[in-house]
Amino acid sequence: MTRDIQFVLNGKDVAITCDPLKRLLDVLRDDFGLFGTKEACGEGECGACSVLKDSKIITTCMVPMGSVQGCEIMTIEGLRETARGKCIIEAFADGGAVQCGFCIPGMVIAAESLLASNPEPSEEDIRLGISGNLCRCTGYDLIVESIRLAAKRGNGLW
Amino acid sequence: MVETCYIPKDLAEALRIRKETGAHPIAGGTDLMVSHRRGTGVVPKFPWPVMIITQLKELQKIEEEDGEVSIYAGSTCHEIEVAELVPYQVRKAASLMGAQSLRNLATIGGNICNASPKGDLPVPLIMLDARVELVSATGKRQMLLDEFIDGPKRTKLQDDELLARIIIPQPKAPFTYLWYRKIGTRRANAISKLSMSAAATVDTHGIIVDFRSANGASGPKVARSRAVEETIIGLSVDRLAERLPAFLDAYDVILSPQAMPQYRRSSTRRMLEFFLSEVSKRPDTTIIE
Repeated sequence: MTRDIQFVLNGKDVAITCDPLKRLLDVLRDDFGLFGTKEACGEGECGACSVLKDSKIITTCMVPMGSVQGCEIMTIEGLRETARGKCIIEAFADGGAVQCGFCIPGMVIAAESLLASNPEPSEEDIRLGISGNLCRCTGYDLIVESIRLAAKRGNGLW
Repeated sequence: MVETCYIPKDLAEALRIRKETGAHPIAGGTDLMVSHRRGTGVVPKFPWPVMIITQLKELQKIEEEDGEVSIYAGSTCHEIEVAELVPYQVRKAASLMGAQSLRNLATIGGNICNASPKGDLPVPLIMLDARVELVSATGKRQMLLDEFIDGPKRTKLQDDELLARIIIPQPKAPFTYLWYRKIGTRRANAISKLSMSAAATVDTHGIIVDFRSANGASGPKVARSRAVEETIIGLSVDRLAERLPAFLDAYDVILSPQAMPQYRRSSTRRMLEFFLSEVSKRPDTTIIE
């Protein structure tokens, strides 16, 4: 039992024939080779599989393909080509936010989601904004600092 | 081959599928996709037919009519959190449910029909005397949310019905004081260890003309007792302090002995004591924090 599902992936129209209960996470990784979206917990706790769906952050491990018809999905591979994505990624690099890197695509998506609704976040706002994303290396402080740096440098981008 | 996953285009089709196959609805997927997952690269499997209703526009509205606010079942926690029509405690509860990524997916219909004793949205909704509207291919009916949730993971939803909307009536007079508190562990994605919603209306003579309180995670279903509430309705706020110990003892009895370790009982007692002692001071702010 498969369905034809059309959606927009990183700005391009795409179509796939698959089981409507297949997880968006598996489609992104296995069918489209977009490995920036990671699977860790598989139950929406860790944020490693975060992408933007119609500009809103979601965890793709919980999303069946049957709910994606006609939606705009942006993964880290799409976001990194945009001015906003570049700004966040450079701030993460310059701010020393990255250690092992596994959580970072999800963190960058969470930072974009936060800055899009709040371009000048306080430290508390930032910590809340990334509260759905777990990092086991950094202790978060340099990630928070880097998002603050992105907000400062991004003057007018969001 | 029997089809096991449907994607209805509109509510009428969903109700027809529901009647013919009994398919269970999946809206946000935050409970069902997780509880039936089978690992990386493997499609989740369900023991019954399912239908994906995430995109049904008819179920994605929040509107007001004749003073009653209707939250349609497919509204997400995020949509509820930012909706000015929705009463404070319901917005507050929605805003504290998991991380932003979860609130963008999880729906009020799922939170209610999952009927977890720890579910967050039923607590303020039951305090507000909210009703549910259940629809089927042949009709619709309404009942109090408090009656609809039958017990842990159990509701009165029939095999051919879907939850369409939650209706919140307006209190006779606007509440003077409001309280909501959730106690959990990790801020994002924490399951409530205890949640509590309370409201009081004090008239110009200092008389408590309305008081309600409901507790989540404190028994097989949300704990609320109108009989206990009535013991302080009609009382002057000046006399609240002397009545408080007896009231708190009576409230304690409505909490389930099985589901309540001592800290839950004592936290509930302290929260109610704090809220009511604030009320007796008649502060200018509506929201007590």
